[in-house]
This record gives sequence, C-alpha cells and structure tokens, in this order.
Amino acid sequence: MNECAKCRDQIAEALYGEPTPEERAFLEAHLRVCPACASEYEAMTETRRILDSRERKDPGPDFWEGYWDRLERRLEAEPALAPLPVRKRARRPFTPLPAWGLQFAAAAALLVVGILIGRTLLRPPAPRIAQATPPAAVPVPGVEQASAPVLRARDYFERSKLILLGLVNYDPGASDVYGLNMPRQKRLSRELVNEAGSLKSDLKAPADKRLRELVADLETILVQIANLESANDLAAVEMVKKGVEEKGIFLKINLTEMGPSPKARTDKSPM
Amino acid sequence: MTDEHELIAGLARGDRAAFRELVETHKKKVYFLALDMVGNPVDAEDVSQEVFLKVFRSFDTFHREARLGSWLYRITYNACIDHLRKRASTPEPMEDEALEAGFRSHPQVSGPREATDPALAAEHAQLRERIERALETVSPQEKAVFLLRHHEDLALGDIAEAMGLSIGSVKSYLFRAVRKLRKELLPAGMEVSHE
Repeated sequence: MNECAKCRDQIAEALYGEPTPEERAFLEAHLRVCPACASEYEAMTETRRILDSRERKDPGPDFWEGYWDRLERRLEAEPALAPLPVRKRARRPFTPLPAWGLQFAAAAALLVVGILIGRTLLRPPAPRIAQATPPAAVPVPGVEQASAPVLRARDYFERSKLILLGLVNYDPGASDVYGLNMPRQKRLSRELVNEAGSLKSDLKAPADKRLRELVADLETILVQIANLESANDLAAVEMVKKGVEEKGIFLKINLTEMGPSPKARTDKSPM
Repeated sequence: MTDEHELIAGLARGDRAAFRELVETHKKKVYFLALDMVGNPVDAEDVSQEVFLKVFRSFDTFHREARLGSWLYRITYNACIDHLRKRASTPEPMEDEALEAGFRSHPQVSGPREATDPALAAEHAQLRERIERALETVSPQEKAVFLLRHHEDLALGDIAEAMGLSIGSVKSYLFRAVRKLRKELLPAGMEVSHE
C-alpha cells in the first residue's frame, strides 16, 4: 500500500479522534509532505465541521411520552406476541404446513372466494344517499366500519385546515395580530395534537400510509402553533407559515379530499 | 437504574417491566437511526417499534456475551434495510409523487435565535436541506456507519460489532461516506482530485 492510500485509510479515524499515537504521527508526517492528502484532509475536516451543525428532527416531548403506550397497544394487538411463552414458537415462525394442511387451506380459501363472489353479485344496490349525508351518520354496511379511521382523518384534516388557513392568510401589514384569535388557535391546535397519536395508531393499514404521514406532519405544525409563546410572536408565526408551505400541507389535504382513500375504494369496489 | 445484566436477565424471563425499561432507555437511539435511514417520521416510528417487537419476540437469539446496545443497532439497521427494500419494490401511486415532494422537505423545528432572526433561520434551513440532500447520496451501509459514528458517537470497533463488519470495512465506509458528503457540501474550489 502506498503512503497516500495508507493516509486515506487513517483520515476517517483521525476525523473522529481515534488514531493511535503511531498512526497520528504517520498521518502528520505524511500531510506535511503531500499537498494532495493535506488538501483532502482539510476538506474532510471542513465537511465534518459542517456536519456537526446537523440536528436530528426531534418529534417533541408528546411523541416520546406516548411512545411506550403506542408500542404497548401494538404489542397487545399482536396476540402471538403478548405472552412471552411465545419465544419458543418464535424460533421457527414459518414451519411449513403438512400436505393435508395445504389442501385444507386451499379448500377453505376457495370457499371464501365463492362466498365473496356470491355476496358481491347478489348484493342489493347501496343507497345513493350516502354521498349527501355526513359519512359518519350513514349506516352503509361494509363501508363505514372499515373506513372509520379514514373519516376521522378527514375530519381531522378539515379542522386542522381551518386553523392553518387563519394563520396562513394572516397579513401583518393589513391587520392586527389579534385578528388571528391566537388563544383559540392554540387551544384548538393542542386538542388536535392530543388526537393525533390515537388517530395515527388507528390508521395502520398500508393503504392509509399517506393519511398517517399527513397527520404526523400536521401534528408537528400544530405543536408549533400550540407552543407559540405570545400572540404577537410574528417571527414564529412566519416560521409556521413557512413549514405549512414547504410541506405542501394544503396540497396534501386537498388530495385527500379529492376522492375516497385507497382503503375506502377497496371497500366500495364491489358496488 | 437497572444494570445491563439484570436487564438482560429480565428480558430473558419475559418480564414486561424489563422490556419497558429497555424501550425507555433506547427508544431515542433506535428511532433516530431509523429516522435518518428511512427519511420520514412515520416510517421511522413504525420501524423502531418493529425493532422493539422483534427484541421482545426473539430475545432468546441474543448472545449473552454481546452488548445489548450493539444488538439493538444491528436489528435497527437490518429493519431499515428491509424497509428500504420493500419501499423500493412497492410502486407508489401517481398522486404520491406530488405528496412526496412535500414530504421531502421537513425542516427542523427552529431554535430560539432562529425564531427571532428570519435571515439566520433561512440560512440554517438551507444548510440543513443541503446536508439532508447530501446524505441521500451515500449508500445505506455508508450512511449507517456515518450516523453511528457521527451522531451516536460509537467507537469504530463498536460499529463493526453492531453491523457485523470488520474494522477495516467500517473505516472504509466512513471514509467513503464523508468523502461523498464533502463533494455535496463543499464549494467546488475545495474539491480535491486525488484518485
């Protein structure tokens, strides 16, 4: 290995202060006589300095406080995990089924498919009124139960949107800050933040991923609003507005309003 | 606080209190590594919870001579790689492209000085954005080594243990990661041609 290659091997260690005294002595001696390696080392050190300014995106104290509860709910929701004697079974979770088991499973699957096809073809048409009435109040069999979290999410988005619109449309040059009714904005934001955890837990279907992410994004912004220190904290209000814009919150909310969620589409498809 | 041997003994017995202690002690490390690897907070929470569930489910695969922290990092790293693979093989619906554009920019909550100095806040936000973009250019393995060294302050030997790599490989991944980041972050004048 030539000296430059050896030097490069040690730069990473040197950057994070781990070289042995011998390695450090070699590195220092080489850097004195090799401008290319010295320049590389300088650039890498500068890079590290820039990277030191990186902060991780802490989701905030509410997130951490509720972490165990959410994990525990998930633990309880997976019955195979709840009691620990499962550990023995966990060694080989995918033990192959015997041949008769596969035949039985295939027969059962065929039966279920037959029943589903029959129910789909013979089902009477669903009442059209569903579109005109608030979804939560419409007892359409097979739809409202499966999409209840989605409906809750839409309601959540609608309420969040109202808060954000008030803030985003606020123009410091045109009206006074009290026009925002900040105490009310903060109170409503807090309420929504409190709802976010359970809503995210309920939106656990893969098809609800985007809704879940939007709830999380809104939660971050609503926490900022709830924590605004005073009603005329204009710089902080601007930061919130910027966050709303950068995350494309209104676009995302509008997309959720434009049509049924994937889950609801699945539920309604046989109609 | 319980010492690690007691904690391990509790986990081996299936003690729920020991499991909770493990979660409370390590949740931030696991979550932040997952967040940096998978890139969005919802998936990061999902992956981090998967990690803890896996620990709970299969603690009997833990080797007593290993360190609990290293084992957790390894499970987290593997869970992130699985997640990234699944995500790569799952085509996104069309509307998601528009959504992703919004999700990619996820600025850090600002500090007190930034809140009162919009110019400073904008400058910091721009730098953060550049760093995040730069991090997207490194491979998952390089990224994991970099994150464990830079943010978790793990010694190279500990990273090697956590990721099942030789120390030589860890050094090499770290060097390559920082070098790629340098190319993205430093002005062209500071680029070094030294191949």
